[in-house]
Amino acid sequence: MEVSLPISAGVKTGNHNNGRKPATISPGGLASAAANSITLPLSFILTGLLALFAGVIWLLAQPEILTAYHYNANAVAITHLFALGWLCSIVMGAMYQLVPVALETKLFSERLAKIQFIFHAVGFIGMVLAFRGWNMKWVGLFGSIFAAGVCLFIYNVSRTLLRIPKWNTVAISVGSAISWILLTVTAGLFIVAAKTGHANFMFRFNPIGAMHAHAHLGALGFFTMLIVGVSYKLIPMFTLSEIQNPKRALTSVILLDGGIAGAFICILFQSTLKPLFACIVVVALTVYGAEMLAILRARKRRALDWGVTYFLTAISLLAPLSILALVLSWPKLPLNPFTGQLENAYGFIAFVGFISFAVIGMLYKIIPFLVWFGTYSKHIGRAQVPALAEMYSEKLQMTGYWIFIAALAVTVSGILFSNAIAARTGCVLFAASLSTLAFNAAEILSHWFRPQLKAMPVIVRKS
Amino acid sequence: MSAETEILDVREDIRSGREPFSKIMAAAARLRPDKNLLLLAPFEPKPLFAVLAKQGFRHSAREIGNGDWEVIFSRNGKIERLAENGNGSVPAKNSAARVPDSALIEVDARGLEPPQPMVKILETLNDLPDGATICARTDRRPMHLYAQLESRGFTGRTEEQNDGSFITHICRS
Repeated sequence: MEVSLPISAGVKTGNHNNGRKPATISPGGLASAAANSITLPLSFILTGLLALFAGVIWLLAQPEILTAYHYNANAVAITHLFALGWLCSIVMGAMYQLVPVALETKLFSERLAKIQFIFHAVGFIGMVLAFRGWNMKWVGLFGSIFAAGVCLFIYNVSRTLLRIPKWNTVAISVGSAISWILLTVTAGLFIVAAKTGHANFMFRFNPIGAMHAHAHLGALGFFTMLIVGVSYKLIPMFTLSEIQNPKRALTSVILLDGGIAGAFICILFQSTLKPLFACIVVVALTVYGAEMLAILRARKRRALDWGVTYFLTAISLLAPLSILALVLSWPKLPLNPFTGQLENAYGFIAFVGFISFAVIGMLYKIIPFLVWFGTYSKHIGRAQVPALAEMYSEKLQMTGYWIFIAALAVTVSGILFSNAIAARTGCVLFAASLSTLAFNAAEILSHWFRPQLKAMPVIVRKS
Repeated sequence: MSAETEILDVREDIRSGREPFSKIMAAAARLRPDKNLLLLAPFEPKPLFAVLAKQGFRHSAREIGNGDWEVIFSRNGKIERLAENGNGSVPAKNSAARVPDSALIEVDARGLEPPQPMVKILETLNDLPDGATICARTDRRPMHLYAQLESRGFTGRTEEQNDGSFITHICRS
């Protein structure tokens, strides 16, 4: 009996670590080795997970951050920890991996991305600490470092976009998102400049209006735009379906761009036109929802896996968020303790319920794939490699899903009724849900250090 | 005198949910003309008969218990019935039939979630006989495949089709 054993222990994984290699796809379709290094996106993703766990521990220690009005040092600091440390890290890392694959090209420069990682990590950690002590000079310094990283990110993604063979809705949404993040960071730096006695023209703006405009630009322009655009690629891929109406998909992205631009200006200037642009954003998201439903109805894989279920549950939260947005955009809405808590709940559902939950769902796709690809791709056909679903516990993933839903309901109730006990209970539940993610992430990463290969049960010869 | 027989047992693959088609096709493609291929499967693989018949294979199948089947494939004109030859060894009939240099193995990797298309193609690649090429059809341009091909001494050329799918022609560098 002769059993073929893995012979590729010494085989290099190819040239995909070579950032300088041109990655053109000629009109005839001849593609060079185009895959990127996986350590780069994994560095961003692990940083993001660490920031998430740090943020949850912080909230466990100080749940009153959620039950008081959000214009205070701790609330601003923790918002930046979640928005920059958790979400931006994950989204940027995932974009370095997904944008070239989704748009059929190669990342312009891995070296620039690695440099950005340093600016990014130093920038957001320094910003969070400086916000916590409300030292605006240090916020300005570390904010500038973070912004320098964002500029590298934008330059890198823009040059990558210039390489793509053909533009589509996904490419337009990525292009839009990097434009909006540039404006978000610029607006943030101006707000800090105003608080340190510079940029005097900023004094004409209401500081809370400027802060809300900045937050909406980041949440809608960068995160929501990317979730919308990328889901047009990923959901058909994971459910074995396809875009049903390309014009409808494109319309959702263009309407969203228009709504974001108008909403930013109206919030900044405290204009009475806020409800109009809130409506445009809601229409854009409704069109997006209609296309997603059509994609799901046409899917060939009837059973939805848990990663996709996380993601779809998250985007379904756009419905209550839209209602809240329409209510809160009303110009004559009085600012009292309840509407203040309503704003907190709106921000919390947006950042945690919608964006974070969607990101966790996609992480369950991205992390296993990155680790699997880095560990096992060279062994395919030479040894038995585990399937992606075998790299983590589906039961834990499902448990994490239901605990997250409970955590969201309890925490939002605590926020709405200014109840610190409910908020703390919700945070405990979030910690429990995220511990399932941590356990699964550790299990996935263990393959990186201890690959689980088996000999191929292949061909037996006899005479 | 018995011909040399290669035995390919795909029962465990199928039971554990792995797709054995590419492995079977690769084994068939690399089979020397003076050899037979004995396939062990957990059911009678009827669709395979027609596919391999197009490549000049004749077959003889029989149930061997527990619902399992063994099928012997041969490129030679004559093969003995397995029922008459329980040990699976089939008399040799040397013929001039050879794996043609231009042998083309088709791999349909559509309708699969990543990374299964890449797995299916690379599993076929590993057993590819000299001179043979692979024509792989996928739903998406296989961006992660090219580096793997390059590291294994192959090149891939991808063309988008009118129906939105992609065909990648793979051959040795």
